Amino acid sequence: MENKKNNTKDRELFLSRTLNAPVALVWEMWTEPEHIVNWWGPNGFTNTISKMETKPGGEWDLVMHGPDGTDYVNKSIFREVVLHKRIVFEHVSFPHFITTVEFEARGEQTFLTWRMVFDSAEILEEVAKKHGAVEGMKQNAEKLEKYLAAQNV
Amino acid sequence: MKARRDVYQAIADPTRRMIINMIASQPHNVNTIAEKFDVSRQAVSLHIQILVDCGLVVVKQQGRERFCEAHLEQLSEVSHWVGQYKKHFEKKLDALETYIEKIKKERNGKQKK
Repeated sequence: MENKKNNTKDRELFLSRTLNAPVALVWEMWTEPEHIVNWWGPNGFTNTISKMETKPGGEWDLVMHGPDGTDYVNKSIFREVVLHKRIVFEHVSFPHFITTVEFEARGEQTFLTWRMVFDSAEILEEVAKKHGAVEGMKQNAEKLEKYLAAQNV
Repeated sequence: MKARRDVYQAIADPTRRMIINMIASQPHNVNTIAEKFDVSRQAVSLHIQILVDCGLVVVKQQGRERFCEAHLEQLSEVSHWVGQYKKHFEKKLDALETYIEKIKKERNGKQKK
């Protein structure tokens, strides 16, 4: 159990990408609500950000509106905000996880790493499975929509 | 309500995960497994039974001994879901890339004017 705290491999999601924009621009896209609202959330979703205080201890309230009208409420607290370097925020609504986004300036490009650490491997699996079920339902709804549209032709 | 018996239930408990680790490379006798844990033999038997019900373990009788054998194919189901979940965040990065291109174009346009 002791090494569980240090070793997060089995309970984290890790992504990285080189983005074709200088760090100042990428930072702006991540930290300003009027920008992040445009790209956050799955396809077909819209977002409402009622609060986003990008500073340590600041709150971030975001509601994702699903295509079927379901609202997904997300509340996070910013833990660390280091200009053009790092943002750490804690998702305090379920599922609990801590996100660390790091920005590395590479000339006109930015290397971004994105790590989400969940409390346990089981929670990550549970969430992933539920998400898979939701995705599945969404795809079914999309298929049905396409099918119905084809019927009307 | 019927108890949930799937791969997620199987790996939800630390003792069960340790049992799986023990028998993953080679089958173990039930008594040998029970000796490794501080909990009662009955508790270990119950965990083994749950693993059997979840389809991750098969118990085989050999003479007077009972051996636990791991059948771990189902575990890939878990990594499958996690992989799918990860893709969901990859899509966010795709959306970010597209959005960045749009913003860059808008700002370049303004500069030229």
